[in-house]
Amino acid sequence: MPFVKRDVIAPSKDGRPPDDNLASHVAALSSPDSETRWSAARALGGRADAVPALAAALAAEPVARVREAIMTALMRVGDEASVMALLPYLRSQDAALRGASIEALQALPEAILPFMTSLLADSDSDVRLLATELARNMSAADATRILCRLLEHERHPNVCAAAIDVLAEVGTREAVPALQSCAERFAGTPFLPFAASTAIARISDTER
Amino acid sequence: MAGSETHGARAVRVTPEEVRRLCEFLYRRTGMLFNDNKRYYIDRRLIERIAATRSASFQAYFAILRSDVDHEIEHLINAFTVNETYFNREEHQLRCMTSVLLGNVIRRKPPGGAIRIWSVPCSTGEEPYSIAIWLMENWSHVDSYNIEIVGSDIDTRALKAAANGVYGERALMRLSRDVIHRYFRPVADGEYQIDPGLRDSIQFTRANLIDAQDMARYRDFDIVFCRNVLIYFDDASRRIAAENLYDCLGPGGYICLGHSETMSRISPLFRVCRFPDAIVYQRPEADHDGH
Repeated sequence: MPFVKRDVIAPSKDGRPPDDNLASHVAALSSPDSETRWSAARALGGRADAVPALAAALAAEPVARVREAIMTALMRVGDEASVMALLPYLRSQDAALRGASIEALQALPEAILPFMTSLLADSDSDVRLLATELARNMSAADATRILCRLLEHERHPNVCAAAIDVLAEVGTREAVPALQSCAERFAGTPFLPFAASTAIARISDTER
Repeated sequence: MAGSETHGARAVRVTPEEVRRLCEFLYRRTGMLFNDNKRYYIDRRLIERIAATRSASFQAYFAILRSDVDHEIEHLINAFTVNETYFNREEHQLRCMTSVLLGNVIRRKPPGGAIRIWSVPCSTGEEPYSIAIWLMENWSHVDSYNIEIVGSDIDTRALKAAANGVYGERALMRLSRDVIHRYFRPVADGEYQIDPGLRDSIQFTRANLIDAQDMARYRDFDIVFCRNVLIYFDDASRRIAAENLYDCLGPGGYICLGHSETMSRISPLFRVCRFPDAIVYQRPEADHDGH
């Protein structure tokens, strides 16, 4: 047989348990070696006391995969400070960074909830549009309430369309009046009444 | 026409819109795509799950599903997928391994170097044994390298069965009589046990894909088969598992997922490689600045 069996367990080089020292991992976030920064970000995952250092590292990090690891580390903390560290990237000009921050924030539906009002009132329509996606993993009641409030006053058709798309999946019957009203307001933009009617049909049919 | 099935004293019905809602959820959550030509198939399974969860309506069931109460997402996915495992399942990936992947792997190895292959989760062992048999039968360089095959799973009962290596005829249905004769011996009516030499060649270990500390024990794999498990995870767990798997591969190493899974939906860490027999994902050999 050409097959060999070896111990898969990779012991640490000096036989000691993995380093749990915050300061050394934080220092490693600034290493010139991307592998070291990646490992440091992974080691700091879920540590609330590391959020300021992770946030600073994220702002300076040039390597995409290390940025991913930092965002995952922040996501694993999942507190208010980590959400605040991720939110600025919704405005990034880098599509990959925007996408990564959306993914990380979507995984934190409860932690992001207190920020939704201000996100959906942001002066940048792109931020409002991305924020609608954050409602997708929330409870149906929360998502419906938040997105209906948006639909009542939102002027940008693409933001409304994004909200309607999320409501079509997670919305409840309470969303129907807001969807109808939105369809009437945007009667001159045919795709919106169409999207709203699809969402209404789905919600109504689902919630007989 | 809406599907229906009796549930206790009343019939639970699903409408076309409800089915569409479920299909969109399933697609976004798992990448599995079902359209109207599979309506009967979908209706049946959906109605079964509504009944199994004692939901009074689709809406009640959908709330359970979205909140993943009692692992309902896993139950639903199981209802929509073929869970049966057998030898040489997804043979195209094994063909891809010997036709392309290993050629690229050995280009980076010194003569006689070790090739490391990991099957995770390996369930009751059909996949790691299939890999070993496939290599013996189909790879001309098999005797020129030390090949390590590791099978891991979170379920220790499955691992025990894997190490024992006894299978029914159904599990061997894709193997020729000759191959069965060469690598198995009959042990009971309709049951066969893997050749002791082969059984002894594969290491079975427990591993949890989302536990970074646990996964730190696994490094420098050249090829990882990680099929039909990431679809069960939520977004956060998938991200963590993808990073853990990245660390388990050596630079340039490959990962093979299940046919309904795509790593590009899960993580940008890997490079998509489209080969004639399969789409696989590769850990890049070096970092590039994102700016």
